[in-house]
Amino acid sequence: MGKREKRLVSGKGWYVDDISFPNMAHCLFVGSPYAHAKIQSIDVSKALRMPGILTVITGQEVVELIEPLPATADFGALGWHWRIPKVYPLAVDKVTFQGEPVAVIVAEHPYVALDAVDLLDIKYEPLPPVTDAIEAMRADSPLVHEEWGDNIQIHLEFNFGDVEGAFKEADRILNVSWRENRVSGFPIEARGCVAWYDESTETLNMWCSTQVPFLLQQCVSQVLRIPTSRVRVVVPDIGGAFGNKDSSYWKDPVVGLASILTERPVKWFESKREFLVTGPHQRDVIWDGEVAVKNDGRVLGIKAKLIQDLGVESSNRGPAAASLVAACCSVPNAYHLEGLRIDAYGVVTNKSPYGAYRGFGKDKGLKFMERIMALVSKECNIEPAELRLRNFIQPYEFPYKQIQGYMYDSGNYPAVLEEGLKLAEVDSWRVKQRELRKQGKYIGIGVAFVVEPAGTTVPYCAHSGLVQARVRITPDGIVEVYSDRTELGQGAEATNAMVVSDILGVKSDDVVIKPVTSDMIGIGSISSRGAVYCLSAIAKGARELRAKVVKVASALLKEEPENISMNDSIIYSVKNSGKKCTYKELANYAYFRPGPRGLPKDIQMEQAFLLDVLTSWYSPNTIENPTSTYTTFCAGADIVIVEVDVATGVTRILEYVHVHDAGKIISKGIVDGQIYGGVVQGIGEALSEELVYTKSGELLSNSYADFVMPTAQDSPDIVVGHIETPSPFTELGSKGMGEAPIIGSKAAIINAIEDALSPFNVRVPESPATRERVRQWILQAQQR
Amino acid sequence: MKVPIETTVNGKVYKLEVEARFTLLDILRDELKIKSVHRGCEEGECGACTVLLNGKPVCSCLVLTPQIDGTEITTVEGLLKDGELHPLMLAFVENDAIQCGYCTPGVIMTAYYLLNNRTEFTDEEIRKGIEGNLCRCTGYVHIVKAIKAAKESRDSGNWW
Repeated sequence: MGKREKRLVSGKGWYVDDISFPNMAHCLFVGSPYAHAKIQSIDVSKALRMPGILTVITGQEVVELIEPLPATADFGALGWHWRIPKVYPLAVDKVTFQGEPVAVIVAEHPYVALDAVDLLDIKYEPLPPVTDAIEAMRADSPLVHEEWGDNIQIHLEFNFGDVEGAFKEADRILNVSWRENRVSGFPIEARGCVAWYDESTETLNMWCSTQVPFLLQQCVSQVLRIPTSRVRVVVPDIGGAFGNKDSSYWKDPVVGLASILTERPVKWFESKREFLVTGPHQRDVIWDGEVAVKNDGRVLGIKAKLIQDLGVESSNRGPAAASLVAACCSVPNAYHLEGLRIDAYGVVTNKSPYGAYRGFGKDKGLKFMERIMALVSKECNIEPAELRLRNFIQPYEFPYKQIQGYMYDSGNYPAVLEEGLKLAEVDSWRVKQRELRKQGKYIGIGVAFVVEPAGTTVPYCAHSGLVQARVRITPDGIVEVYSDRTELGQGAEATNAMVVSDILGVKSDDVVIKPVTSDMIGIGSISSRGAVYCLSAIAKGARELRAKVVKVASALLKEEPENISMNDSIIYSVKNSGKKCTYKELANYAYFRPGPRGLPKDIQMEQAFLLDVLTSWYSPNTIENPTSTYTTFCAGADIVIVEVDVATGVTRILEYVHVHDAGKIISKGIVDGQIYGGVVQGIGEALSEELVYTKSGELLSNSYADFVMPTAQDSPDIVVGHIETPSPFTELGSKGMGEAPIIGSKAAIINAIEDALSPFNVRVPESPATRERVRQWILQAQQR
Repeated sequence: MKVPIETTVNGKVYKLEVEARFTLLDILRDELKIKSVHRGCEEGECGACTVLLNGKPVCSCLVLTPQIDGTEITTVEGLLKDGELHPLMLAFVENDAIQCGYCTPGVIMTAYYLLNNRTEFTDEEIRKGIEGNLCRCTGYVHIVKAIKAAKESRDSGNWW
């Protein structure tokens, strides 16, 4: 047990920064100090004369050598307004965000590369930047991509159900607005890779800290014009990812190019500042809308406008232009809704590229809905939990086709929420709240409910349902598992091994999870798809392999197949305890004893892949329902009690409860870890984390000192409860999970702060609710 | 500019001539190939590179070469006994306290210091004790649980 964890705890990890080759060089991306400027000239001659500098590559050179970055999604095929920019990993003649690489220095040592930065003579002609999405939509705004004529990368209009009918039927129409500021995941390990072009095999080998080696391989292959079969990506240990290492690998092809040009292995391991400044950013959304409600609290319909600030763009340097679609489609959440209309804009500005972060886009719509529920709760004077219970999709309605077309697989939302209410003792907190207010203490109860769409499979997009798994038994009786499921710290390795060990009756020590490489087709660990797609393919493979083992064992032990069983790496007859063999004996027999006295002919006919099974898996849900772009839907209820110090604006968490329904649980410890980690990231987003840009496009929060992530002291103890409603759409009944907690916790905390401040009539307009903002909101409300 | 230094790392004495501007983090990782010490923020904010310097936890990214001369350094490799995991490490493995593992060795060193210097502590004090180590995966709950389990090991004499 815990093979990987024992390795990591004792310093035997194998992260990208641990990879070293003789003669390895180091590269450094030199970023623009301006957010928007023309590049007039770059003179690298002084740097090239410096000892230890191997080469300097500039954008002008890159255009000659490589192709532009490919798009990760193109929904233009659906007739949507969807623009794909022509961009290279290095700026060619204009920079469009601070930190945009203009050159790459390749040196003998990282410090030497740093020294050479000052020797580059780069002349810029600054242009006026735009760093605000609303301003970027104005006709007189500076243009990020001139050829477009405006700054709208994406415009979508969604109309689900009967919106007009819902608004006609309503007792009241409420206005709602909500804004989330810019944040991202920023795992403790930044991005990085090592590239080594091996001339003897004409293969570019890359070791990358990535969630998606197969997609990265496609990108490098296209950009460097090398056939896919001559690019191989291996994934070492990953020091956290959270979506930030999904398709935000746009610098990696340049590292490959550096290796080809210098004929050396080359490492790039970015600094934390480079990560914060050029890494994928997220959220930064503005919602404005109207809600049609009945007086009994039923929410009938929503009309909204969504503006999402994509930074410089998010189709080629990140995968998250598509997150706009997820943001719109996830709004209905767990509720009966008659109609939904969203007018959504993906706007470009002179900020860092947008990418994926835990929640991707689903989070945005879900949080908007949970802010709506807080509003309706207050306006209709109905307890937040009661309001949700009145609007919930009921357990007997599954599988439930939600109005946007998602096919919800299974669920018991009332049970999840009621368990949360019980654990949090909400009723007694309400009593305490009233008493404490008399003493000038303001506590708030925040509730959020989230149905997380997990396991993306989107048409016209790289994030499809591709998955492949291979389970085989080696001649010495070890079960090897190959899959696309990268280990990010979410327990891929452990749960893969548990499932295979369970199905094949082998000791967990006899299961080896192979490192993930681009050899396996599949989209990798994104969108909580591990327990949906990858584990389904692995389980299916293990089950097919089991059937083969039974067949071989039946011949070997001369026993009827139905009497064969296996446990603890021994295969035996349930009828005759004398008839048994080890996996090793069986495998040896199958591999090396062909011929008349060995296996029967019909089994030998399968010899080529007798103990080696390759499977793929596709969601039965999405085949039947092409509009359902996710396969499973887990649910989470967050209930939080906070105290807001109205004099200082400080929010303190007094109690935190999360109840989750992730379908069949494979490992409770791992699911709990996902919940705790997600909840605390949501707390960070709700209270302190924010990427702040100046008007001139300079990122102020460019270090961990300024981008304030929760420490152990800022984080609460978290009470967790579980409900298990298996998914009918996966091989094991498990559901994807891991994103709901970051979504629910942020919404619940904001709702709790609003509840605490209700005597002041404060509506929380945006996140994070920093102490300064909380004070401001109180003062503004008092002045009204 | 290179300077000569002598330092004891995990009980072994090293005499080195290294660049004055190198940090202890650089020296441990690149010269001595001690890979448990992870490059995080390199600004003393995240604690991923925490080691014990003369028995006290420090961010090795903030210590420059001349400051290392004559010191004694301990990393997680130094807590292993004949290759066997230290009870504190085992507590992390058994309590699901390791997710991506990048912050783990740093957290272990801080926790080791805490456990060796405080007889009793509350959950709050554990949280305060490790606040210099950022973890983005675990939400700290399993880490606090692991440190409490390690304290029981320590109190029962299973410790070194």
